[in-house]
Amino acid sequence: MTPQDAAPALAVTLTALGLVDSAFSGFRAHAGRDARIRKHRAVVRATLRGLAVGAGLLLAPVLTAGAVLLAAADRDRTYAALAEGAIGFLVPLACYTTAVLLSLAAYLVLPFRASTLALVAGLGPLTLLRPLVLAAACAGTLASGGGAPALLVGAAAGAAVLCVEPLVHRRWYAAPQR
Amino acid sequence: MPHLEISDLITATDPRTGARLPVRRAEVVHRLREAGDRHAARIVARLPADRHDVLDPHAVDRLMIGVHTELQRLSEELRLGKRLVHILGPVFEAVRATATGRLRLVDVGSGLGYAVRWLAAHHSLGPDVELVGVDLDAALVGEAARLARAEGLDCRFVHGNAFDLPEAATVYVSTGVLHHFRGPDLAGFFRAQAASPALAFCHFDIAATRLAPIGAWVFHRSRMRHPLGRHDGVASARRAHTDETLLQAAAAPGMRPLLYEPRGLANPFCTTLRPVIGIRPELEAPLRRAMGRSARRLVGPEHLAGAAR
Repeated sequence: MTPQDAAPALAVTLTALGLVDSAFSGFRAHAGRDARIRKHRAVVRATLRGLAVGAGLLLAPVLTAGAVLLAAADRDRTYAALAEGAIGFLVPLACYTTAVLLSLAAYLVLPFRASTLALVAGLGPLTLLRPLVLAAACAGTLASGGGAPALLVGAAAGAAVLCVEPLVHRRWYAAPQR
Repeated sequence: MPHLEISDLITATDPRTGARLPVRRAEVVHRLREAGDRHAARIVARLPADRHDVLDPHAVDRLMIGVHTELQRLSEELRLGKRLVHILGPVFEAVRATATGRLRLVDVGSGLGYAVRWLAAHHSLGPDVELVGVDLDAALVGEAARLARAEGLDCRFVHGNAFDLPEAATVYVSTGVLHHFRGPDLAGFFRAQAASPALAFCHFDIAATRLAPIGAWVFHRSRMRHPLGRHDGVASARRAHTDETLLQAAAAPGMRPLLYEPRGLANPFCTTLRPVIGIRPELEAPLRRAMGRSARRLVGPEHLAGAAR
């Protein structure tokens, strides 16, 4: 299978990852702003807000990819470059996602002493690493031969997912919930 | 250089009357600079003050509530409620062996009252335990009471001195308070409880491991938004008392001091917070029985003396 053949699946996978990340961003935007004990509904609402904002922002890389293709002199070659770039973009994200899911599963399943380990050694540092992982993903587009078009789309996608949390936070959770 | 926490400096309360005292911004900034903490001084210099340079009390209250709300997130993630029940369940089981009637848990320096409200929401200690949070900060107490009312929780909050309540506590608890006491005040804190009718105390604080300041930095950097919260989170980890200091200070007459998960017995990655416990000597055996296998993690001062030999 060539990268071009895998392009639709890659696009779906990256979009799904972006949406899941957006949902978590919505959760993080709300976390620390609501001191109630029972707040499942508020958490679900914040997660959906993140998802909605993320869905909107992720149109940016989609439109960028469309514009790059429309403006390209050789669309087949540009399409292939974007597909190769998508593979390079996906690799760091896949590693990061795996680490997050393992840490999250350990946190949710293990008793509190062991879950602290998952939190302190996993989820805390991994939250801080998000911008670096996206930078690595952008570098991956170049390393995999995607060139400038793939880097442009990757940068738009990275900026989009990094903007979700601050936007949701400022719009709905700028002050502690009353 | 001493490690100072901004939140300790920007509010002042008369301990006798509970009245709020004015705080001059320049004095706080000067104190932080004297301590070599320019970053903290810059944070305070940005806080609003009136024309006499007195910090705006309303702004400070809003800030304190905001930071404590964020801080609660860390307690939630570290499952502080379950940690409390893990120890307090057996403590109250032991206490019930001698005490009769209504028991009273008093949370000293309760802040937004997360511990008390969590225990109330989960009915963790039984219906015979009254849950009371006490703090010297009126704004935090007011917000804690509002949150409890909003969720219909069976607990109450008092603005004032925890050792000056009209009704005696059966068990005193606190979370993240011990490192605020320095020098003789730490022993004085434990002596006040030993001299009271209370049968036990259980105070959770940051474990003073080598990893604690690094972990606190990562954790607060990734979780807290306001610079004050980030600053104080790391400062508190640096101020955490050693096992030896805690056990020495907790050795008040009439109380058996015990430390749960001291450094030698615990993985530092897993033990971010752990309690120092004091219990009337006759209740130690019932407590150990109630804790079951977990009692092996409970050590007295003789353990540290043995480890030092």
